[in-house]
Formats: sequence, structure tokens, C-alpha cells
Amino acid sequence: MAPAVALEPLRNGVLALAAAIILLALFLLVERSAAALSSSRRSRREPILSRLLFQALQSSPVDAGAFRRLGRFDRRLVRSILLGLALDLRGDSGDAIATLYRDLGFVKRDLAGLRSWRASRRANAAADLGLIHSAETVPGLLSALQDADVRVRQAAVWAIGQVGTPATLTGLVHLLGDRSLMVAHRVQEVLAERGREIADSILRYAETTSSRSGRLAAVELIGWLRITTGADLLLSGMRDLDPEVRVKSVKAAAAVGDPRFLEIFHSRLEDVRWEVRCQAAKGLSLFGAVASVPRLAAALRDHHWWVRFYAATALAEIGPAGEEALSSALHDPEPLVQEMARYLLERGDAVPALP
Amino acid sequence: MIWAQLTTALEWYGAFILLFFFAINTYYLVLTVAGFWRTLQVFKQVRRPDQRRLLRSPLTPPISVLAPAFNEEANVVENVRSLLMLDYPLFEVILVNDGSSDRTLGHLVDAFDLRRSARSFERSVSSQPIRGIYDSPTYPNLVVVDKENGGKADALNAGLNLSLYPLFCAIDADSILEPDALLRLVRPFVDAPGITIAAGGVVRVANGCDIHGGRVHKVRLPRRPLPLIQIVEYLRAFLFGRMGWSTGNSLLVISGAFGLFDKRAAVLAGGYATDSVGEDMELVVRMHRYRRERRQPYRIGFVPDPVCWTEVPVSFRVLRRQRTRWQRGLIDTLVRHRGMIGRPRYGSVGMVALPGFVIFEMLSPLVELSGYLLLPAMWALGLLNPAGAWMFFVLAIMYMVLVSTLAVLLEDIAFRRYASVLDLGRLLIGAVLENFGFRQLTVWWRVRAFWEYLRGDLSWGEMERKGVGA
Repeated sequence: MAPAVALEPLRNGVLALAAAIILLALFLLVERSAAALSSSRRSRREPILSRLLFQALQSSPVDAGAFRRLGRFDRRLVRSILLGLALDLRGDSGDAIATLYRDLGFVKRDLAGLRSWRASRRANAAADLGLIHSAETVPGLLSALQDADVRVRQAAVWAIGQVGTPATLTGLVHLLGDRSLMVAHRVQEVLAERGREIADSILRYAETTSSRSGRLAAVELIGWLRITTGADLLLSGMRDLDPEVRVKSVKAAAAVGDPRFLEIFHSRLEDVRWEVRCQAAKGLSLFGAVASVPRLAAALRDHHWWVRFYAATALAEIGPAGEEALSSALHDPEPLVQEMARYLLERGDAVPALP
Repeated sequence: MIWAQLTTALEWYGAFILLFFFAINTYYLVLTVAGFWRTLQVFKQVRRPDQRRLLRSPLTPPISVLAPAFNEEANVVENVRSLLMLDYPLFEVILVNDGSSDRTLGHLVDAFDLRRSARSFERSVSSQPIRGIYDSPTYPNLVVVDKENGGKADALNAGLNLSLYPLFCAIDADSILEPDALLRLVRPFVDAPGITIAAGGVVRVANGCDIHGGRVHKVRLPRRPLPLIQIVEYLRAFLFGRMGWSTGNSLLVISGAFGLFDKRAAVLAGGYATDSVGEDMELVVRMHRYRRERRQPYRIGFVPDPVCWTEVPVSFRVLRRQRTRWQRGLIDTLVRHRGMIGRPRYGSVGMVALPGFVIFEMLSPLVELSGYLLLPAMWALGLLNPAGAWMFFVLAIMYMVLVSTLAVLLEDIAFRRYASVLDLGRLLIGAVLENFGFRQLTVWWRVRAFWEYLRGDLSWGEMERKGVGA
């Protein structure tokens, strides 16, 4: 005898699920139709508005008259086109875009967006203001640097990097030691692009800051920007007790290439940290000094692969004397030394780019 | 007396199966919604100039792309070309020919003018002997490694040893990355350097797409139902499912077809396990374990917008091999790391993700199969109420269809990869079709995988490919 099963709840369940599936499918249809409608309207309006925008941008002074009475959809589209153009255009065209963007009230809108209760809106507003190279946005962006949300601060840092003057950029330097690594890294990125304008400030910060991470970032920047006036700082950094400072300093010194570094690079080939040893070897490849050959040849025996690799690369860069050392290494009793020497001697043009 | 006990036991088991069906579908529903929520959050964080910024930034880390290949002569050259064209500031492509018996290596040598290289490398993790290393004068960032056959994990370990850069991206040689895939996938590493140790990207189905020159030019759906059903499955389980797990730093699987790893973290965890067929999941779980045991902060994330296109099986024979292999890999990983399950020391991974995987991924085929077997048994014993059983069957299917429909809807809101409404309709049809045959077959294959696992079967089985561009 089959047991009696309460079919009613099961039937209700089936009906409820069927209704939910139908609702979802309908929603999918409506959502897709709305998107298709918007997309088709966009593709119809975009060429017209783009043409108008180009005309407005080419007129002098920039004429925003044609855009004053646009509806909400068209205004959004115009803003989007302007931001897309701003990504690519600089100079006079960039200025014209900034003027039009401001005249149409978008700057005001983005500045208000910086005060929105939604962090994503504040961050987007900051990023958009960064695209529009307009000096009037700087105070707003500077205040966004104090925002509680890391993403907003990140976007504000980037935007200031695009818009800011050297004086404004100087205000970013202390953020190299920001408590948020994400913000500090964004500052480092910005200064890697524009830091040359404020090299002295970066150098001063590296010398005086008590923030370890900030100091490390500043030392790295000295290398990226090849700030030759930072040689003294790097010399002392290479002797620092903190291994991280030594690693970054040797790396930066390898990029700066001051003749005073030669001797210290030789001594750093015996550092306890492999990162320091390999950066020293890399640095020696820049000098191409024959005096380095015996030291580099000895470094081919290093237990760390990267040190051997950079030492062999440096020997290959030095020229005939280095190549001779590599040739002798082919007969070395140690297979690891032979292997590395063979690779460098046979590499031809197929050498990989190094990090 | 015995009859009464048997009847009661069967009734209880029937009720358990009913509950299990609801639990597993609710589990997928919650994951799908959580995954969608997380996807929207990630999209909100992506700003207009981000890609360009990453292209220019000195802080964007260089990447070694590792592509193991075994008998991939059909599309290896085109796929390597597409990898070499990726938009990324500094990267190298290391293709590892894992002892192919076809002309994989020969095609590569001819196409890229490869010559033997004495390139030296660091032996951080063990792998089968390397027969030769080749580089190309035309493409300095291409390295081809020819080695003895040792399986995918072994090939990845060989590539790991040869890689120069701090991050490595493990992909399948037969899949196609979108040009900006690396730039998108690297974001978590740039945003949280030193903390992010792995990130997975989205694997999508390339069958039916318009592909030429190593690029997907138009996204289309396949005509055949088998790959169509797999698209729905990939959306539900691999896109929103993984995104959902990443919410609580509990992601256990980064597909072997597309994942980015911190090389040092992977090497410290021991590299890929060569004695596992689920090497991708095993490595991720081991990386979780390594970090949590040492109380080191870390993050393993999932990024919803970088896309890797891959060909899925079009025949039941190949699909069976794939599914049994996946299930064996899952069982193997969960057995290896059983010490983590239910242990608060491993946080959300030990307390939520691993138990969830044991119940809803590993054991679910056993429960489902027992449910199918229970029906005729109960019928034979006169315990089956046909109307009730039928209603339950419909209910279970509809719940599954609901979850799949939701996944299709959310895909359309978040990504809109499928252009026409017709495509969406076909996906919904796939969501329904999945429940009539496909699901039952995969359940059976996954149950068989238990037997294969107990027999110690570590085989991969060959994937027959037409070539994604064919």
C-alpha cells in the first residue's frame, strides 16, 4: 500500500517555482529589450552628438550652445563621449574638452559627486575629474585625499597626478608612506610618471621620513626616475642594516649608475641577501668595467640562480674580457657554472627582458 | 517487524533525499546570488583609465605565461601566436611540450624558427627530465620546453622552474585568452601586492564562436545541445559559483585553464602535485593551508572580467573522461586535505568551503544516484506514491532550472556576452534540457569516478579537439 503523501505543498512548490522561472524569463526579456532600446538609441544619437561635439571643440572660443537643451539621455552620452576623448587628447584639444565639460556643468556635477554618500560614486567622480585636465578640480581632489574610503583616495591620487601642478604633486609625496599600501602604490605610480618635476621633494622625503615603507618607495622612485642627485643617499642605503633598504638602494643605484657605485657594487656581491647580490651584479653590467670581471666570475658560483644569471649577463655585457671569463666557465668543474655560461654565450638576440 | 523497520528506513531516506535536493539547489542559488553581488562590486571598482594605467605602471608585475601542451598539433601554433599578442607590458610565454607523440614540437619549431637554447633554469620544484629548451630569434619572449611526458602538473612544474617573472599564469595551450585578459587578471596583485597570492579568471565556452587569428571575433552559441548545456553549467558553477566563494576568501578552485599565481607562494607551497589529476584545485587548497597554518595574511581571489575561451567536449565519450577526471581530482584533493575539514584553524576554508565541497560536490552524486535507485525499490515494495514521486521529480528539476535561469539572467546583466535574444532563449532551453539525461549521466560518471579513484587511476584521458579556430 503506497503511503499517503501530502501533495498540496509539493504542488504549491511546483507552482511557485514555475512562477519564479516565468518571472525571471520575463525580466530577462524586459531587461534585454530595455538594453537593446537604449543601445539602438545610443547608436543613433552618438554619431550626431559626436559631430556636434567636434564642431564645438574646434570653434574658438568653445561653444557649448548646441548642448544646452539636451535631454538627460543625450547629456549622459555627451559626457561619456567627452570622457572617452579626454583619455586620448592632450594639449589644446584637451583644454577644449575641459572647457566644454565645465560649461556643460559636468565638473560641478563631479565635484558634487565627490561628496556623495556612495563611495563608488565618489571614486568615479574623482577618476573622471582626473581625465578632465581642469585646475579648478584640484581643491576638491585634494580634499578627497582625506576620504575614509581607500578606493576614493586611490582615484584622487591618480587624478591629481593627471591634473596637479608640481606644487600639488609635492603634497602627494608624504603619501608614499600612507597606511594603506594601495594608496601608497598609487602615489608611487603617479610619481613614477611625473616625479621628475619634483625630484628634490622626493629626495628630501627619502632622507627625512620616519616611515620605512615610505622611504623604500622613495628610494625605488629615485632609481626609476634616475635622480642622479640621490647618489649619496643610495650610497648610504647600500650600507644600511635593513636588508630591504639595501635591496632597493642597490636596485636604484643600478639604474642611476653613478661611478662611485662601482666599489660598493663589488662588495655587495657578497651580501647575505641574494636580492642585493643579484642587483649588484645587474648594476655592474651598466659600468662594463673590466675590473669587475674577477668578482662577477666568482659570483657565477653563487648558490642562487638569479645571482648567477645576472652575473653571467653582466659578464656578457662587459665585452671581450667578460666573454673570455664566460668561456673559461664552460670548463668549470661545477655543472651549474657551465650551464649558465653556455646559455649566455649562446643566447644571441633571444635574451628575455628582465624584471 | 523487519518489514516495518525497512519501510521506516526507506521513508526516512526518501525524506533525506528530498531535503538534500533542496539544500544543494539552495546552495547553488546562494552562491549564484553572492557571486553576482561580488561581480557588481568588482565592476564598481574598475575605473575608465585603469587598463592604460596598468599598462604604463612600473608596479605592474611581469608575468610568465605557462602553457602545457600534449598532442595539440591542431591549434598550438595559432594559440601561441595569440598569446604573443597579449596586451601586457612585460611577459614571456613558456610552452611546455609534455612529451607529445604528434607534431606539436615540429609545428612550433617550423612556425617560430625555434632553435635550441642553453637557457639555464632554477630547479625550484621537481619535474620529469627536460629534453630540450628552444627559443626564437624573432620572439624573444617565447620559450618552448620539450620534456618527457609527466602529465599536466609536471609540465607546469617544468615551466615554473624556467619562468623568470614573479607571477605565472597557468593556462591550457588549447585555450584562447582575450587580449586584455592578463591586464584585468593582474588587478588584485597590483591592488594588494604581497597579499594576493592567486587569482582566477573566467573560463568561457568557445564552441560555436567565430574565431580566427587566435581571437574570438563574435560570440555565438554552438548548434549542438551538448556544448550548449555546458555553457549554462559553466555560467552557474564556474562563473558565479567561484565568484561567490571568493567573497569570503574561500575559493578552492582556480581553473587550470586560466589562473594567475604568485610564483614564490606557489613554490613555497611545493608547486603542483604531480600525483594528482586535480592539480589545479589541489594547489589552491595547499596554498590556503600553507598560509593559514603560518597565520600569514593572504588573498585568493576571482576576477569576473578577464576571459579565457576554451573548447568543451562535444562527444559523450570525451565528456565522460573529463567529468570522471574532475571528480577524481576533487576526491583526491579533499582526501589529501581532510585534516582541514571542520577545523576552525583554517577559518572559512575549513569551516565552510571544504565541508560544502564534501557534501555538495563530492558526495552529491552518490546521494542523487541513490535517489534514482530508491524509486524502483520503493515502487517494487509498494511504498511509492506515484503522484508524490512525480511531483517531487518536477519540483527538483524546476528548482535547478530556476537557478540556471537566474545565472543566465545575471550573466546578461553583468556581461551581456550573448548578443541576441534568441541566444538567451537557447540558453534557457539548455537550462531545461540539462535535467533530462545530461545531469543523470554526469551523476553516473561521477559515481564511477569513486571506483576509479579507489583503483588509483591517475589517467587524464585524451581530449579530442577540432581546434578552436577550426
